[in-house]
Amino acid sequence: MREGPVIEVKNLVKRYGELAAVDAVSFEVERGEIFGLLGPNGAGKTTTIGVLSCLVKPTSGSAKVAGIDVTRDSLGARSRIGVVPQEIALYPTLSARDNMLFWGRMYGVAEAELAGRIDELLEVVQLAGRARDRIDTFSGGMKRRVNIAVGLLHRPEVLFLDEPTVGIDPQTRRSILELVKDLNDQGLTVLYTTHYLEEAEFLCDRIGIMDEGRMLAVGTKSELTALVGAESVITVRADGMDASLVNWLEPLEGVSDAALGDGDLTVSVTTGSNVLPPLVERLTSSGTSIHSIDVDVPNLEGVFLHLTGKSLRDEADEAPAEDPAGAKP
Amino acid sequence: MRIIRIALKDLSIRLRDRNTLLMMLFMPITLVAIIGFALGGVAGGGISTVEFLLVAPAEEEEHLFMENEGELLTGAAANLMSQIEMFDAEVATEEEARAAVGAGEKAGAILIPPGFLRAVFDTATVEVTVLRDPVSRIKAGIVQSLAERLATYASAGGVAGRGVFDAIEAERELTDSERWKLGGWMFQWMSERWREPAIGIESSDVEEDEINVYAYFMPAFAVLFLLFTTVASGKSIHEERESGTYERLMTAPVSRTTFIAGKLAGSYLLATVQILVLIGLGTLLFRIGWGTNPLAVVVMAVVTAAGASSLGLLVASFTRTARQTDSIGTAFVLVMSLLGGSMWPVEQAPPAFQSVARFTFNYWAHSGFKKLAFADAGLAGISQEIGIVLAMSAVFFALSVALLSRR
Repeated sequence: MREGPVIEVKNLVKRYGELAAVDAVSFEVERGEIFGLLGPNGAGKTTTIGVLSCLVKPTSGSAKVAGIDVTRDSLGARSRIGVVPQEIALYPTLSARDNMLFWGRMYGVAEAELAGRIDELLEVVQLAGRARDRIDTFSGGMKRRVNIAVGLLHRPEVLFLDEPTVGIDPQTRRSILELVKDLNDQGLTVLYTTHYLEEAEFLCDRIGIMDEGRMLAVGTKSELTALVGAESVITVRADGMDASLVNWLEPLEGVSDAALGDGDLTVSVTTGSNVLPPLVERLTSSGTSIHSIDVDVPNLEGVFLHLTGKSLRDEADEAPAEDPAGAKP
Repeated sequence: MRIIRIALKDLSIRLRDRNTLLMMLFMPITLVAIIGFALGGVAGGGISTVEFLLVAPAEEEEHLFMENEGELLTGAAANLMSQIEMFDAEVATEEEARAAVGAGEKAGAILIPPGFLRAVFDTATVEVTVLRDPVSRIKAGIVQSLAERLATYASAGGVAGRGVFDAIEAERELTDSERWKLGGWMFQWMSERWREPAIGIESSDVEEDEINVYAYFMPAFAVLFLLFTTVASGKSIHEERESGTYERLMTAPVSRTTFIAGKLAGSYLLATVQILVLIGLGTLLFRIGWGTNPLAVVVMAVVTAAGASSLGLLVASFTRTARQTDSIGTAFVLVMSLLGGSMWPVEQAPPAFQSVARFTFNYWAHSGFKKLAFADAGLAGISQEIGIVLAMSAVFFALSVALLSRR
């Protein structure tokens, strides 16, 4: 297998008239990682994935998959990638198995290998028992899983997942994210687009933040949060706080700043430091009546806000209602 | 190979769809059965009995030639006409006749005017009135022809009778009894001439003596519904775009040309299955004979399927969405079928209309099958139809590819 990045994008531009859907975007994806493209609708994520999957012809720049330039050898590049579109791109009146037979043949999987590969993938997506049932009898989550399985039939070097959890219920979402994790654990490289912060944080080894066609930042979650500073902010609202509390806090390890305002105490601390328990103990032992305590930990939302001046949650059509990983951190 | 795989996938999807099967086979067979039944199935003996009424003239003494003249005249005429298998004539009053024809119970009624017989013998002008049921145009036309025939015989008989009466009365005055006897003899003579005219006309159709109406309408409706099938196949191109399967195919090592060729091949396979099954069902259900050359029938069928599938693809290439293909496609198929004679015998249209019909796919496809069914034309006899339909297919396909490639 070839060494080096599986995906290389350099100064990629895609214009529709005056509008730059993708504007000088560059990034690389290493073999075996999950790389997330995070951004609101219209950020250019789908256009970028469209160029990489040979659906969209770029205006300028280059895009390579497994070392193959997608504009020069489109068919060669297509045989190396698996694409899972946002829609359920399956034939509803055919069975799961018939769908996979058809798509396997389209991807050029050898007939001798195809039946076995289908069985294997139906096991992976836990639908072996429903292989002969029509797709239109499946639940939304089952359809999504077959949709993903189809993208894996020809053992692609990289799997493109374009917002695969849009508009689905939390349980299905969780199962899909876990499936993607499992596939990645088996060595599959994944390029995942989403506008859900929680998904990107849970799933991705590295994240590229996009907005208005531009790539604003690329890095691991900690690298990105470092962009907005490595400090968390504790805000306490309570009665009876005085300057002695500030004097007590300032020498503590991890505290970089403490200030008392109009009934509010604001403490800047190094993320991960253990200031909160002794602070709460002091307040309660002094008989202070605590109304609320807020801890503002730096996250991708903060990063996006820092980079664009706007909230990603406001931009997204709908944010997921719960932790994408379910019980997982 | 991928072209065949796409075609077989489409075939599999379409054949699992009950609505498709309904439109492909059940609808054309049902319509042909209904139309064939309505037209009597076999045109030679196909028109069922023509039921009509004869209305006796109101008795007006001063015009009477003989006693009970009207009753006798209409009774005898009804009896005479009913001896012909096709006719069922009854005597009625004018009021009854108007009510029965108006209600569509009878195809027509012949109203004999007062003084008819006297006028006949006086060789004076007299008018027979025919009441016609506008719904039963053909049968009403037959009643009118019968009335005209009756008038012709009566006029001829009147002239002859007048001559006989004049010749005898030049010698001596006839008594009433003699008049009756002579009149009866002349009526008898006319009746015999009616049944067995001295001058006979023997008709001979160019085609077989018995024309199977089904053999006309079966290929007509087969072509019509073939177009519905292929337009629906063309529509599936848009459905694939709208469902995301087309995009997914374009991320696989499949070219756009392969996709279009696969869709056309799928449409063609389905159309071929449809036309061959309809031809088979036509033979089994409606006893249609397609001539003595089965190869010619198969060639005409596969060529027709090619034309229809290319035309379906062309319709899809002009439209933007599946929904648009449905509405525009349906309108297109109906207009083409009306112009091309898939819904009615275009041979009965004015020459200008027939010239327009020649520009349609329906006309030539139907013409090929008609030649096989009615003239046992064989391959050589339908070479013009084969050539024209193939040429149309090539043009439709080239246009479709050009239009779809621009998308």
